[in-house]
Amino acid sequence: MDFDKLLKKNSVRSPWLFRINAGSCNGCDVELATTALIPRYDVERLGCRYCGSPRHADIVLITGPLTARIHDQVLRVWNEIPEPKVTVAVGICPISGGVFREGYSITGPLDKYIPVDVNVPGCPPRPQAILEAVALGLKIWKQKLGLEA
Amino acid sequence: MAAFLKVLFRNLLEGPSTDPFPLAPTKMEPERLRGRVVVDEKLCMGCGICSHYCVAGAINIQHTDDGHTITIWHNACCRCAACRQYCPVGAISLIKDWHSAHEEADKYKVVEQKAIAYEPCSVCGKKIRPVPTQILKKLYVNNTDIDLEHVQHLCPACRQLEDARRSAGLPAAAEKAAVEQTTDANA
Repeated sequence: MDFDKLLKKNSVRSPWLFRINAGSCNGCDVELATTALIPRYDVERLGCRYCGSPRHADIVLITGPLTARIHDQVLRVWNEIPEPKVTVAVGICPISGGVFREGYSITGPLDKYIPVDVNVPGCPPRPQAILEAVALGLKIWKQKLGLEA
Repeated sequence: MAAFLKVLFRNLLEGPSTDPFPLAPTKMEPERLRGRVVVDEKLCMGCGICSHYCVAGAINIQHTDDGHTITIWHNACCRCAACRQYCPVGAISLIKDWHSAHEEADKYKVVEQKAIAYEPCSVCGKKIRPVPTQILKKLYVNNTDIDLEHVQHLCPACRQLEDARRSAGLPAAAEKAAVEQTTDANA
């Protein structure tokens, strides 16, 4: 087994998460914090942990409807995350615009600018639903790495 | 020390507080959890009050001559349950299914769509949505003498005529023929 494959195989055991707040109301961010920080929903069982730098991230969780003010910054930070990355849209806002749909200050939905892999609707989604989305993202990440068909 | 032992024994007995999901089915499902929206096609009248109150514009109702189709896009639904609150016939409910994560390819497939076909009015033949029996029971709670089966299949105009006949003391359209027969026999 060559070194590259060994590295890939071991790296999928610990996907690092990165949060981008694209103008969210913080409801989804609270749920994201809940999934990681309180023992009841413990996302670290999947090997995940939140990282502070986009350059360390594997799975990026984006909340919020992508407001006009934050639009450029979100794209800049997202572009700093190295490939292969899995983008998860958390909450109805990044998926469809949610209750802000067609608002004057909204440039979303997110998939107009960023290739989204997993959607998890809800306002906010349940912590278990976010865990489910991370598990699904993990599967997609393995596919992107070529470890799974 | 005693307090610590209490905690230790409790933890040994009850196990970890971590919810086993996603490695096993979840143990936490609140009684009144608002999950996915479902529409009862037996009750939906297509009045559109749900789409009027939907803050996210997730509900769309398309009317044709033969029926109507109600579509709820789960990716826009914020689960506020305003539709359930304001639905006059109680056709909308929120079930406990919270499994909402899906891949991008299924983004526009996660919908609740119900097509309701109309039936012709038993008198004039105009296509109408038959009023569900439980709603008729509520509407005619003080008029127990009215045949609900008959009223159900009448269009609003025919129902109005029927009501006018009834208040004037004339026999209803359905009973008319039967009454005429009996009067003929009496004569």
